[in-house]
Amino acid sequence: MRVNKKSLLAAGAVAVIATLGLASCSAGDSGSDGEASSSGTLTVWVDAERVDALKGAAEAYTEKTGVEVELVGKDNADIKDDFIQQVPTGKGPDITMGAHDWLGELSTNGVVAPIELGDSAGDYLPVAIDASTYEGTTYMLPYAVENIAVLRNADLVPEAATSFDDMIAKGQAAGLAHPFVVEQGAEGNPYHLYPFQTAFGAPVFGTNDQGYDSTDLQLGNAGGEQFAAWLSAQGKNGTGNFNTDIDGDIAKQAFLDGTAAFWLTGPWNVGAAIDGGINVAIDTVPSPTGEAAAPFAGVKGFFISSESKNKVAANDFLVNYLGTEDVQLELFKAGNILPALSAAAETASSDPIIEGFAAVGAEAVPMPAIPAMGSVWQYWGIAEADIINGADPTATWQKLTSDVQAAIDAK
Amino acid sequence: MAKETKQRGAWAEGLAAEGEILAAGLDADARERAIKDARRTGDGYVPPKRPFKFGRWFRATGWRHVVGVVMVVFALFPIVFVISSSLNPKGTLTGSNALFSRIGLDSYVRILTDPQVPFTQWFANTLVIAGFTAVGTVFLGALAAYSFSRMRFAGRRFGLISIVVVQMFPQLLAVVAIFLLMSAIADWFPAIGLNTHIGLIMVYLGGALGVNTFLMYGFFNTVPASIDEAAKIDGAGHVRIFFTIILRLAAPILAVVALLSFIFSVNEFVVASVLLIDTEKQTLAVGLTKLVSNPRYADWSAFSAGAVLAALPVVALFLFLQKYIVGGLTAGAVK
Amino acid sequence: MSTTIDDDVTTETPPKPTKRQRQAANIADAASGGIKMLLFKLVLLGILDAVAVYAVLVLAGFGQWLIAIVVAAVAALVNWIYFSRRKLPAKYLTPGIIFLVLFQVFVLVYTGYIAFTNYGTGHNGSKEQAVSSLMASSLQRVEDSPTYPVTVVDQLGTLGLLVTDPDGDAYVGTNDQPLEPVDAEFDGDKAVAVDGWTSLQFADVLARTDEITELAVPFSDDPNDGAVRTPDGSSAYLYTSTLEYDEAAGTMTDVTTGTVYSDIGTGAFTSADGDELLPGWQITVGFDNFVRAVTDPRLAQPLVYVTLWTFAFALISVASTFFLGLFLAIVFNDMRMRGRKYYRVLMILPYAIPSFLSALIWAGMMNESFGFINQVLLGGASVPWLTDPWMAKLSVLLVNLWLGFPYMFLVCMGALQSIPDELQEAATVDGARPWAVFRLIKLPLLLVTVAPLLIASFAFNFNNFNTIYMLTDGGPRDSNAPIPVGFTDILITMVYKVAFTGQSRDYGLASAYSIIIFIIVAVISIIAFRRTKSLEELN
Repeated sequence: MRVNKKSLLAAGAVAVIATLGLASCSAGDSGSDGEASSSGTLTVWVDAERVDALKGAAEAYTEKTGVEVELVGKDNADIKDDFIQQVPTGKGPDITMGAHDWLGELSTNGVVAPIELGDSAGDYLPVAIDASTYEGTTYMLPYAVENIAVLRNADLVPEAATSFDDMIAKGQAAGLAHPFVVEQGAEGNPYHLYPFQTAFGAPVFGTNDQGYDSTDLQLGNAGGEQFAAWLSAQGKNGTGNFNTDIDGDIAKQAFLDGTAAFWLTGPWNVGAAIDGGINVAIDTVPSPTGEAAAPFAGVKGFFISSESKNKVAANDFLVNYLGTEDVQLELFKAGNILPALSAAAETASSDPIIEGFAAVGAEAVPMPAIPAMGSVWQYWGIAEADIINGADPTATWQKLTSDVQAAIDAK
Repeated sequence: MAKETKQRGAWAEGLAAEGEILAAGLDADARERAIKDARRTGDGYVPPKRPFKFGRWFRATGWRHVVGVVMVVFALFPIVFVISSSLNPKGTLTGSNALFSRIGLDSYVRILTDPQVPFTQWFANTLVIAGFTAVGTVFLGALAAYSFSRMRFAGRRFGLISIVVVQMFPQLLAVVAIFLLMSAIADWFPAIGLNTHIGLIMVYLGGALGVNTFLMYGFFNTVPASIDEAAKIDGAGHVRIFFTIILRLAAPILAVVALLSFIFSVNEFVVASVLLIDTEKQTLAVGLTKLVSNPRYADWSAFSAGAVLAALPVVALFLFLQKYIVGGLTAGAVK
Repeated sequence: MSTTIDDDVTTETPPKPTKRQRQAANIADAASGGIKMLLFKLVLLGILDAVAVYAVLVLAGFGQWLIAIVVAAVAALVNWIYFSRRKLPAKYLTPGIIFLVLFQVFVLVYTGYIAFTNYGTGHNGSKEQAVSSLMASSLQRVEDSPTYPVTVVDQLGTLGLLVTDPDGDAYVGTNDQPLEPVDAEFDGDKAVAVDGWTSLQFADVLARTDEITELAVPFSDDPNDGAVRTPDGSSAYLYTSTLEYDEAAGTMTDVTTGTVYSDIGTGAFTSADGDELLPGWQITVGFDNFVRAVTDPRLAQPLVYVTLWTFAFALISVASTFFLGLFLAIVFNDMRMRGRKYYRVLMILPYAIPSFLSALIWAGMMNESFGFINQVLLGGASVPWLTDPWMAKLSVLLVNLWLGFPYMFLVCMGALQSIPDELQEAATVDGARPWAVFRLIKLPLLLVTVAPLLIASFAFNFNNFNTIYMLTDGGPRDSNAPIPVGFTDILITMVYKVAFTGQSRDYGLASAYSIIIFIIVAVISIIAFRRTKSLEELN
């Protein structure tokens, strides 16, 4: 085809006309597109299953102050990483939901802003405030305190067990081959086995007045080795009470089918057990020694982004709205986990199941949030899994301790 | 005119008949005879009645059925778990081996009616995004494949290799990079940036020029250049050759690429979950995964139900495209 | 075959075109010649130009000059390509390449850039962000200090705090002026207004939220007494700061211990002892990450067997999926078989189900004690599908075969159609048996079309992070290794475990590893490409 003057002119004409048309639209737009209306909105990232629970609080806040609260349901697996990646770009949310053990990582990355609870700090359960504080500064507004306990099928075993061996005995008396289940997995599950470890007197880290002390690794003390030996006796080559082939689903199925009468799990599974028609009772974790078996406490709360353009509104929303009994109870209804506000916790404890969990939680200690804990998680589970599957307990536990210590020292 | 039409019709039918004869697996003599018969009568090939011999049938076709059944079992049995789980609203995914212990449509009802789970919205979003991506990928890829196949230019071989090699780059940080890119675009052109369908489609089209293009290139290469030349002699320009000849002859591979691209977009999760923030804008993959992202509150039954429903458009598209993929004699005749 | 058929083709005109063919021909006619085509092209380019001008204006409005220039240049280039008479290949390639460069090449370049920085945990943002974060977290509330009800006030643009102390007295101060007693109006127990100052409503407080976060009113002339700050505009507390930032000197001083942390160029404030104050910030580190990647002692032990397994995994996956897919495509290509449509649909179903769901189901089915395969199919056997090192490798290959054969099946179905039937018939007539026909005619022709796909599939499986991660997470673990590597880990999952350990994510290191792996795979692929004749013409 021929490119001649006429066609060039035609092209030019078409282009100019179209341009003028669009440019006149753009002149109107580009001015106002400049600033996003950041002063009028609070973006809150929420776990997908709890979005509804916050709608009431969000609407009340908007009515009172005129600030729009935008609730974004996020995928649980991504929320921490997305938050850390997006905050420095300035495009992250103002507030996010999360768990207290993220604090080490969040603080190291400088993405959370301190929150001032003021006098209301005294209104929360002590363990919640403990967990919300990192290196002396409070970063989180707690809304739930979560810990595991033993669910018992009261129809099969009417009485609570007094010790671990007693529990197995009672279960076997009821005709069950493996009366106790706890979820494990090929790489172990040290979170669930922790109460047994503390019963032998081996916490992960020692504490000082600032919280957990990363230089004081207590994992490998004498109690730890005794725990390892006990674990080995309960594993594949022993009583078979612990089995790394059992995952969450299989444990749940066993309890629902009635092949297990004792299930060490958390409040998130209570609903399924009750719906399955089981008469559920909550017991403290039966100890293999005489000492108390204290599980980890996981505290959930809200964080404020360090790059939030609306810190004042965020603080206000968190402390004065999400910290009220009504909202804490709404969140409780969505997840069935003990609220962190003492008053709400009491109200919720009118349910005997929650009361049972709260009783166990009174002994619970927050999971360490310090960065050194990451090194522990890397080796801990697989060591326990190996012991359960027949490896030499003392040697494996000692190797675990030295591996963890080396990883901590390397940082 | 009528006679010509009749002749052309007969010719086409004759070809079809010949194909059948050849496929019938007769020996050489019988074949020759049958071909002559078919041409003479113009009736098409009517195979002589032969007694049905199981042995012969089995050797020719029956064993194929055996293979088919074996493969279907292999392909389907994990999917049976999905279906079983979708019908068992209170069950776990793989906690129990008692498949189909409970049959209930509650999960299907739940995903279709729960306001927290706007399934139909997600379904529509997915169809739109996957549809446009598939069409765009086929079109862009065919354009590029045509130029690689029919034209010679500096950097042709380099171009061919690099479009495939670029796709091999580990997408470890792709999420971060794309988020930064799209949020920057969202600052300036909100309509095509973060949290828009157009933005997501554009990101997917970034992958249009890749292995799929190579596939089309390979196929185009098997279309003889003599056809191009014949058309050129008739006065057709390169665009006309592209649209009327090459695309039609390459229908099988275009259909395959369309299907592959569609399936890819339907199942793509990582980029879609970063780019689509509002629940109403999300796709099925993103929305359904939220149902099971928290292992403690995972509703596998609802997720399985959603996965079953999400597989339906893929199956429908495949059924529709099958006749293009295995065009068979039509392709041969036009050649 | 007799030659009469060919004669018919050349002497008779082809059958009358269908309606669709006529329509296509009309479009193409219009498209390929004359005025209509020119007009069509002008309209399209006109729209494109208009959009480009709009984009440039918007970008200029945001001050993004560099990008505006790039957009203008690209638009000019596109115009030049489509208006010139030659440049034919470019006309076909341009749309695809624009998308490719913008979305794929950009990702590549970005990953490459990150490999030269220390982006990761502890070096997450810019220096300003790190400083403000450090200063914010260094605030300690003075012990036993009360909560002060406050009102934010403003005098000629300067913000101040009107503080009510527990005794009921009112004070006012600003960032520069310590608290001074004043007479104020009270609303109940709280001072709400004072002469010479305007009290801010909550909406105004929100509008100036940045300034209010910075507002720190000294309690008295002695800086050690701390400063009063308000986090929410209505109550304030007394804070001291444990850190002092000297911007000019670039140091952070811990006032409680006296340690001085300075910026020595490593991306964090470091003391003389080497203690770092985190958070730090992102800086470029040159080739550090690459050096670390290559010389990391933790990798030495597992590197050999992981590399061998990666190659084996990729090669066996490609071979098995291809041959199964090809076999099935041929089997179901036969005209005589009825119901092949249904078999085909059922066989591509694995491809239509989300792969992570399938991987989870396979993992569940392969559970040693409770899985479907052991319990039901094998009647109670105890085959350690995922827990024995070699069985786990087999299981991974099996699952990958299940996931991948439909793709190869589809591709081969399409590619088989490119082999002219005449060739096969000619060979059959000449007396060739089916297997020979396949080996000598079909397979070579097919490979020409499909070989690049096989190479790409090899590269994909070499980096197939998802399947391995979801099925076994690299397990079963090698307990002797210093890193949590397992016996089904491939290179990419292993480097992921090295770079992302516990709570720390070292994106710079991970990118360096990705680039190294990419170079390996790309070199292999390019060599393979040259050996196939796919780049040559074949007609």
